[in-house]
Amino acid sequence: MMRIVLSTGNIVTGGPSIIRKPGTPRSNLELTNSLRSNFSAAQKDYAPSPVSSNGNGPHHGNGYSVNGNGRPAIDAWTATEDSVLYVPRVDWTVAGLQEDRERYEITLKLFFLPTASVANRTAYIEEAWRLVTKELGVDRIDLLIASFPGISFEGDCEWEADKINATMGNDDEEIMTWTALESLYEQGKVSRLGIAEFGTEKLQRFINRVKGAGILADDENAQNGLQGTLIPEWVVKYTAFVNYRGVIENKGYFAGAELAKA
Amino acid sequence: MGLLALGTALDWPDAQKRAQQVREWGIKQLLEIWNKAKHKERDGMLWGDEVEYIVVRYSEDAPNVLLSLRQADILSALAADEELSAKGGGVPDLQDVKVQNPNPLPVFHPEFGRFMLEATPGKPWGPGIKELLDVESDMKIRRKIAKDHMESEEYPLTLTTFPRLGVPGAFTDPYYPPSGSKLRSQFVPDEIANPHIRFPTLAANIRWRRGRKVQVNVPVFHDEKTPNPWKDPTVNYDLHNWPEDDDVRNGAAPDNFIHMDAMAFGMGSCCLQITLQAKNIKEGRQMYDQLSPLGPIMLALTAATPIYKGFLADTDVRWNQISRAVDDRTAEELGEKPLKENQRRIPKSRYASNSTYISTDPRLRPEYFDPNLVIDESIKAKLVEGGMDDLLATHFAHLFIRDPIVIFNEDLEELDLTKTDHFENLQSTNWQHMRFKPPPAGSDIGWRVEFRPMEIQITDFENAAFSVFMVLISRAILSFDLNFYIPIAKVDENMETAHARDAVLEKKFYFRKNPFPNRVPRSAAGSNTNSPTSSRPASPVSPVEDEYALMTINEVINGFKSEEHDFPGLISIVESYLDAVNVDVQTRCELSIYLDLIRKRASGDLWTAAKWIRNFVAKHPEYKRDSVVNDEIAKGLVSAVIDIGKREQASQGWKGLNIPDLGNFLGSFRGGCGSNGVKRAADEIN
Repeated sequence: MMRIVLSTGNIVTGGPSIIRKPGTPRSNLELTNSLRSNFSAAQKDYAPSPVSSNGNGPHHGNGYSVNGNGRPAIDAWTATEDSVLYVPRVDWTVAGLQEDRERYEITLKLFFLPTASVANRTAYIEEAWRLVTKELGVDRIDLLIASFPGISFEGDCEWEADKINATMGNDDEEIMTWTALESLYEQGKVSRLGIAEFGTEKLQRFINRVKGAGILADDENAQNGLQGTLIPEWVVKYTAFVNYRGVIENKGYFAGAELAKA
Repeated sequence: MGLLALGTALDWPDAQKRAQQVREWGIKQLLEIWNKAKHKERDGMLWGDEVEYIVVRYSEDAPNVLLSLRQADILSALAADEELSAKGGGVPDLQDVKVQNPNPLPVFHPEFGRFMLEATPGKPWGPGIKELLDVESDMKIRRKIAKDHMESEEYPLTLTTFPRLGVPGAFTDPYYPPSGSKLRSQFVPDEIANPHIRFPTLAANIRWRRGRKVQVNVPVFHDEKTPNPWKDPTVNYDLHNWPEDDDVRNGAAPDNFIHMDAMAFGMGSCCLQITLQAKNIKEGRQMYDQLSPLGPIMLALTAATPIYKGFLADTDVRWNQISRAVDDRTAEELGEKPLKENQRRIPKSRYASNSTYISTDPRLRPEYFDPNLVIDESIKAKLVEGGMDDLLATHFAHLFIRDPIVIFNEDLEELDLTKTDHFENLQSTNWQHMRFKPPPAGSDIGWRVEFRPMEIQITDFENAAFSVFMVLISRAILSFDLNFYIPIAKVDENMETAHARDAVLEKKFYFRKNPFPNRVPRSAAGSNTNSPTSSRPASPVSPVEDEYALMTINEVINGFKSEEHDFPGLISIVESYLDAVNVDVQTRCELSIYLDLIRKRASGDLWTAAKWIRNFVAKHPEYKRDSVVNDEIAKGLVSAVIDIGKREQASQGWKGLNIPDLGNFLGSFRGGCGSNGVKRAADEIN
């Protein structure tokens, strides 16, 4: 078993993956698209020699291992830290925000996935908090919103869906998790807690892709990915909103998973 | 009380002699502001909207509807309202308006036309998304307060122009004969302008400098029975009161054009303007550049001006008419005569689309600039010497090619560097489609940009929708570091395109294909600067011509996908911004109603005001298919607009109103035109 952390980096200035398709409701496409584009960007950036922006043409032989397709092998653009595999590797030296901490409203939305154990949620909460605060260079989150499996809320504006939510989910499990969240609040690591109106059901497509490890490999070149079965556990979405300007400075995702060796 | 300060206004020959002094002092004041404010930081995102009204006198029994010239009385009544001033509202030009009130009532301002009013919120709006929902109800309160201080038969209307302005006979109340000494117009009296000395002097000196009256010619719409060629039947060729009466005998009124000859035909138009404060000068310059290419798009999308002087025009918007109404260029500057008295040819009116870009964004390519931009080199040299960078110095050296038009003798005695009056004299009589506004003297206000092209809309709902949309797109531009750059000459071209009848559906506009920043490679982002502005131009650099394409307004607003392009559309960009911000579901739903209006106007599902007015005229029993909008048709139109406004004030929706095509115009918004509506928070006016 190996722990894996997937990340998107800051997607706010990362181009079209943050823009929803015209006429479609908000969806988890943003997560899968931005993960995919961050992976391909990392593969380019950690390629053996500078890759020109038109992008193709193999490069060989200076340090990083290279597979037959001209891309760096997985150990070049991922990193293992404290026995966690980061996909892609995260450059913590560029972490941080541009303005003083009090200028921001930092929101963290944590999705507990149905594929993960309820007993481990305390650990997921701590890991998500650790990653986001490290990425943004802060020691406190303004608002943490928990999203539980089994709750769905479709569309932007459907009041009825909100009512249906009330009948979904598992109260006992949610209350246990809530106790863990409250501990973050008591330690001053989170200023406010909330429950999401948009549930984990939204992430179903992401879950399906991760489970097949498809998210790490392009279809025709599966050896580029990881061997084994990925079990997604949680996803955290974070946003750093510059309050006095109405501007989003940073938005991204981390996702935690277990890799079970085949 | 700045605008209406009294003094001795110089006639043009005297003003001309002092023009260089005003320019030089203006530049000194500008450098003073620049040096004080260039490092000003962390100003909050405050913003404001300005709504302009024409005031009409209408009653069911009167044969025609008139423009009311009681602006001064209405403003006095507003200023005298103790309850209004106690709550922070009033008329800043006539009284000290208290601003301590946390939620002040709106304030009112005079405008050029004596039949006009302007109203703004009592204090700027803040950065909160929820505040956007207060705009509509505030606009409704403004209209209610304005109406409450008028006579029972007077109404404040948000029509861009009065359809019968300048027709033969009476169109104002009270009546004044045309052909006065200031305007020398054969169509409108001098009394059409605000009587404060600033305004008649402005009009007179523009005419005087120009050497003849302004020529506001707009192509007539040729209907089935409109003669071709069409000769404006209201033009009098036999008038001999003023030397300028020769203008029409010298060809000022060509065939097939509605001919107008005074500043009031342009500056008497109402528009919807949005001013946004930036966190610092750099962000202000970025917003100025990025909103600039949106100008023509928003002009065409808000089109509301199909009638001039009692005739249907072949254009849908007011812009070029205002441009010509204040065009003070001489025959030499226009290129009609060799340069002798004047220094240079000037290709554009002082009211025109933006001429240059000013941002420090590295994505601003040299190819985007106008290679023939006219500037005053000596002024640029002074600004650069004073420490201003080349780009911004070029911008102001372009504005300062103009002469100041209204100069008060008292202001020329001593240069006061704590004031900005001379700088503002030039700055505020350069009416480009954006304005880059330095911090005013003696205040804590920051760098701002004003977005000026939009036409005023008939309902407060629509005006709120377009205001909110502009604020949201500005936030999305800054958040996503969007890039809308196209060559400035293409923005000019788009501005012309926006005038065409139904340009919103029939025309294509140059627009950038890929508005997204280039990804910054990890190696380039190696230091601790994840600033969006570190984005770099594409490498290798592709030809500028490959960066943009011709798009319909629908494609720009709602997006499209073809084999070559995949443009998300401005609505999707705004929605993606909202997706990323913490907004409660109800706020989000309310905002999506505004976005829906814009989406539908762009797609043609709903009509612009211009199209609705055209259809109203066409279906009126009095209309004879000859392009003539007579008193009875104008009265019917105004009556319909008043009825729409009454229903909106009462939050009742438009269902059951006997007005043609209302459903095509306003759809099912705000209670709708055909079905039972749902009352919403924004419908409440108190």
